[in-house]
Amino acid sequence: MQGLQILIDGFTISSLYALGAIGFTLIFGVSGVLNLSHGAIMVVAALVGWYAAGDLGLGTYFGSVAGVASAVALAYLTYFIVVRPIQRSRTISKEETEIFVLTGTLLWGIMIQVGMAYLFSDNPVTMRPLIAGVTDILGVRTPSNEMLIALVCWLAIALLWLFVNRTGAGKALLAASINPRGLTLLGYELSHIYWLVWGIYGVLAGIAGVLLASFLGVSTGNAGQLTASAFSIVVLGGLGSVSGSLIAAYVVGYLETATAYLIAPTLRPIPALILLVMVVYARPQGLLGRR
Amino acid sequence: MHSLVRSRLFWISIGAAVVASLLPLWLSAYLLSVLTGAYYFGVFAMSWDLLFGFAGEVNFGPTFLIGLGAYSAAILNNQYHLPIPLCLVAAACTALFGGVLLAVPALRLRGPYFGLVTLVAVLLLQNAIVIFAKFTGGEIGMTVFDVLSIDATTNYYYALGFLVVSAVLLTRIANSAIGLILQASGQDPVEAAVLGFNVTKHKVAAFCISALLSGLAGAMLIFYMGAASVDTVIDISIGVQIIIAAILGGRRTIVGAAIGAVFLIVATEFLRPLGQLNTFVVSAVALAVILLLPDGILGFALRAGTRE
Amino acid sequence: MSSRPVLEVRDLRKRFGGLVAVNGMSFDLHAGEILGLIGPNGSGKSTVMKLIMGVERPSGGTIRLNGEDLAGLPPHRIARAGITIMFQHSRPLHRQTVLENIKLALLPDSLLRLATGPEVDRNARSIAKRVGLGHAIDRRPGTLPFADLRRMELAKVIARDPKVVLIDEPFAGLTLTEIAAFSELIRALGDEGRAVLLVDHSVRSIAALADRVLAMYLGEPIARGNAEEVMSNETVRRVYLGGELQPIGQNSRVTADAPSLLQIEQVRVLYGKAQALDKIGLFVRQGECVSIVGLNGAGKTTLFNTVSGLVPYSGTIRFRDDDLRNKSAGEIARAGVVQCPESRELFGTMSVRENLDLGGHLLPANARARQLEMLFGLFPILASRQSQAARTLSGGEQQMLAIARALMMNPALLILDEPTLGLAPVVIEQLSKALGELRKTTPITLLLGEQNVTFALPHADRVYVLDHGRLTWEGGPAKFAEEMGQGYL
Repeated sequence: MQGLQILIDGFTISSLYALGAIGFTLIFGVSGVLNLSHGAIMVVAALVGWYAAGDLGLGTYFGSVAGVASAVALAYLTYFIVVRPIQRSRTISKEETEIFVLTGTLLWGIMIQVGMAYLFSDNPVTMRPLIAGVTDILGVRTPSNEMLIALVCWLAIALLWLFVNRTGAGKALLAASINPRGLTLLGYELSHIYWLVWGIYGVLAGIAGVLLASFLGVSTGNAGQLTASAFSIVVLGGLGSVSGSLIAAYVVGYLETATAYLIAPTLRPIPALILLVMVVYARPQGLLGRR
Repeated sequence: MHSLVRSRLFWISIGAAVVASLLPLWLSAYLLSVLTGAYYFGVFAMSWDLLFGFAGEVNFGPTFLIGLGAYSAAILNNQYHLPIPLCLVAAACTALFGGVLLAVPALRLRGPYFGLVTLVAVLLLQNAIVIFAKFTGGEIGMTVFDVLSIDATTNYYYALGFLVVSAVLLTRIANSAIGLILQASGQDPVEAAVLGFNVTKHKVAAFCISALLSGLAGAMLIFYMGAASVDTVIDISIGVQIIIAAILGGRRTIVGAAIGAVFLIVATEFLRPLGQLNTFVVSAVALAVILLLPDGILGFALRAGTRE
Repeated sequence: MSSRPVLEVRDLRKRFGGLVAVNGMSFDLHAGEILGLIGPNGSGKSTVMKLIMGVERPSGGTIRLNGEDLAGLPPHRIARAGITIMFQHSRPLHRQTVLENIKLALLPDSLLRLATGPEVDRNARSIAKRVGLGHAIDRRPGTLPFADLRRMELAKVIARDPKVVLIDEPFAGLTLTEIAAFSELIRALGDEGRAVLLVDHSVRSIAALADRVLAMYLGEPIARGNAEEVMSNETVRRVYLGGELQPIGQNSRVTADAPSLLQIEQVRVLYGKAQALDKIGLFVRQGECVSIVGLNGAGKTTLFNTVSGLVPYSGTIRFRDDDLRNKSAGEIARAGVVQCPESRELFGTMSVRENLDLGGHLLPANARARQLEMLFGLFPILASRQSQAARTLSGGEQQMLAIARALMMNPALLILDEPTLGLAPVVIEQLSKALGELRKTTPITLLLGEQNVTFALPHADRVYVLDHGRLTWEGGPAKFAEEMGQGYL
């Protein structure tokens, strides 16, 4: 019985992790950026969604849409204000660009987090469930909302997969992560690609943030932790590999859930951390890493 | 270093040191205590700059070494009542040992993976402290029996003295033959190897120096504050502030890191009336500096007028 | 010259995954002699140098310095044993002065030395004077001209006091006077009793300096002797020129009054300090095939990258009377100037079909289908390997894919950079046939950069010769065969 509980609970949290991590790794693969304001963007989506749904009276559905839209806007702001100026700067050498982007996005993330706490306070917010009620799966009673969340995550991931593998624009994105110069020689404008990828990233992070608010609740204090967990999942799966992130998200999600149920809730993050250490030493490029 | 830049740096440093030593004449005990904390922070930042600015390695978890030093000193004083000087020596040794343990495998990794290992080290230490709460006081932290002094001015001079000595030591190393080899190892490791230098050996040495000073500073900070906790010496956000301070002040200048640290801490204090927003303002200013003046405050001051 | 060789290389081998870069190199180097190691691009000569220096680990073989086997040791150990390398591209420490750069090379590998004695300073200054940098000793590398940067590299070599000196492309980017000065300095190294290995792609440039020459191709030695012997060796000529120069059949359908499609005037390109291209002026008429002939390092790739908008330049480049100056690289490709680069730039993990589809992204669906069909007709092997990942294809197939993908853009002007590089003769045959077919069935204009003259000449309507960044000859293919055949190497 507990096994089934772990299976179901772990599935939802892993799906949420996966959505966040895939966005994170997509931005790294195509734009070359480890975006440390990732968690902050998710938190903004959650807070805006909650505010729009409740205080602005838009209801849960439209509130969620507003939340996702805010994440997209924020993603673009991140690119144009922080990332692009650093990448184009002539005073920063090539090798140092990465550390500057990291520090810059980190500061940006802190600014967003504190700004949000100022506007909304740092109390956790929860989105009202999209579906009420409880479903019975083989004797385990699970909130139906939880099932919906897992479904939406998978829908988003599936749509992304279809986009990248079945559409021209998506394949161009994939090609950009492999060889940007090759694309330029074929007449593509890389700036268009970046527009596209940051927009998609905003959508993914936004959905993840809104769903998280619905599942567990989100507060501004979560921002750093969310970035850290996305980061470790992406490293485990391999920087730049979307399928790697997917698999790693489930590994981490289930490890955490099993630990919380079987050992102790306070020791939740430990096994994943140990796994991360082992991977970084034994196989630093992660499961399916390329770069 | 270019002689004009070098002499500018020299005079700026002397000037700053003189002004700093005279401050107790005018400032309140409260302000002195803010500066005291800032000076220890300055040592953290300078040690980080040796590694980043010279050896070219980004340490995302400087608080691993700081925490090792701080907690070993705290435990020895709290549990075994060892006198402060002995605890300081032990702290330096523990941090050094930790530094070697971290550096040797980590330096075999390239690029972002090295940074990752340093980050993971901090997370492990943090969790270890929480798990072994019996010895370490866990999340609440622990107190120490002895302190350096109860007088604000005395504490201030301890901190300032330590900062100045560290600055002199690190600058001497940076400008020495070792510093030259370190710079080569950081800028172009292939060429450094081809010129006959064991790059790993030198980077580990830089790591050790950084570890020693950080650990010592961490321990002194504990004996200044009278308490140690995860939030004050280990938390990742502290490491983040150290990195920001060093880049803000000006990488590859050593002294710049100290200036950046003081700026950061003092600015955060002064903006306290804004409540939560003080972090926002400081982060915004730091971001602006990074985007507009990537050479940092000191770097800009040194290079202004010397176009090359 | 002493009798026992200082450096004995036996059966040296190196594989990179499936690619064999060096396949059984053996040679001796004596103290005081200058050996030239030559070979075309991809022959493995730079790899040999890197193996000796330890920058790459050998897959097999021995490298003995005075009897001691150094193969597989880390570079700093090999450096301390007495071997020094001067890379083709200067590697200064940008934030340090010339004096400090040279001092670095004089330092021991010790953690305990904080201060350097006065003799280090004195030594550094005298070495700087010796190479001609006495006036620049306190300047930073960023302010030095190209030749002085090369002098600084040489200074570092002298500072190491090596038994064996490896120099990669010693004269690349230098003017004739500078070449003379450098030759003196290198000759002096030999006279001091050091063993010198010069690696270059051109025999002519090191002919005067080298006591002996060893020619390489595809990782193996193919000829030894003095410079003349090697230059006139059958195998060497075939490898460089691609074989006997066939009499040219007249296939030019292009008349002199066809409109000019591409015009390049007074183009200059600087890479850092090096003059990569100088006063380039050429034109290509509609429907022509113009061949730019030149060895590696001549500047063909730089020229093509300049036309494609990837490199800043001074001068004018016009395509169909449009100035290309302010257009982005993507715009230029969309305008009809498509390059198939030497490095191919394929999307390795994507399939052949996906690569081609990406090339055809600008065409409407039916036009794309038609283009695809045409290209599959031209390169049938691609049709059968449609769903395979691009990186699993052989070298020749990858080249065909790269060309086909560029052709999917339906370009008015196709630039091909060294399409036959590293390909087997039978594949080169296929490419040649495909190229002929392409010219017969489409109005395409071609700009072909090749060092394989035998491949290029039958297709070319006109030939330009590019040498060290300058155009040194221009004319028809028949005239080329007559005049240049002998002196080309």
